[in-house]
Amino acid sequence: MLQQFLDTLNATIPLEGYLVVGAIMFAIGAWGALIRRNAVVVFMCIELMLNAVNLSLVAFADYLPNAGGAGAGYAVLVIAVAAAEIAVGLAVVLAVYRTRKTVNVDDINLMKG
Amino acid sequence: MTVAFVFLTAMTLISALGVVLSRNVVHSALLMSASFLGVAGFFVMLNAPALAAFQVLIYVGAVTVVILFGIMFTQRPQVRRFRTIIQKQHWPGLFSAIGVGTFLAYILIIQDWGYTKPGNGLQEPGSLGEILLGVNGAPPIFGLLFEVISVLLLVAVIAAIVVSRRKTGEGVDRQEVDG
Repeated sequence: MLQQFLDTLNATIPLEGYLVVGAIMFAIGAWGALIRRNAVVVFMCIELMLNAVNLSLVAFADYLPNAGGAGAGYAVLVIAVAAAEIAVGLAVVLAVYRTRKTVNVDDINLMKG
Repeated sequence: MTVAFVFLTAMTLISALGVVLSRNVVHSALLMSASFLGVAGFFVMLNAPALAAFQVLIYVGAVTVVILFGIMFTQRPQVRRFRTIIQKQHWPGLFSAIGVGTFLAYILIIQDWGYTKPGNGLQEPGSLGEILLGVNGAPPIFGLLFEVISVLLLVAVIAAIVVSRRKTGEGVDRQEVDG
């Protein structure tokens, strides 16, 4: 009984475990990006989605025997793209806030016909 | 392994839910960094300690600080009722998010990944550098991607400066608002 419990504790996690955690995290990020009104929080949720993808990439790099660790390289590229995105995105939010005095994405309707 | 996995899963997912549902924007930012720390823990479990270090330095350090600066510049005292932070279309948003999550999880579980075994990852940071530069047997496309990412980062930095620069006579100064 105790031995069985200890074996359960020491068991290796299957690949699907990491992938499902990544999928749920991606879904939470998508939910927040869809429903939140604050533009800064929308950026945070986009970062959550990118992190979920990173988690899946690194899990593949560790579990697939023929991957050769390429997923870790892609994860570094994703991190760099996310950093560039957050820099430009926050600059846009600051510029919009300076002219419109709001970061509510419902009120920013400059391109509405 | 199981204990660490369950702990990190709970930390990551609960913090992610907190980002979406928290009424205070600063709490959202701090919970986001907690979620990133959980992902860094996953990277350590997945034999990628160099990536975990990058994750802590870039996400928990730099991105969180940048977002906190963005919050500092853009937030004003606001009503803290729950209805005011979410849009009118929150039910379609919830359903599409649940749909995406269920679809992804279902596809990932029924897919046959063949023979999988942990421990194939890069144990040492040096091999990560070889992969990023596309040398020593790594896919050569990574050399091109590395250069493209470098140019992209430069363009992003310049674009951030240009977009957020205040031109003279544009916008309102803080002193004018206060006075």
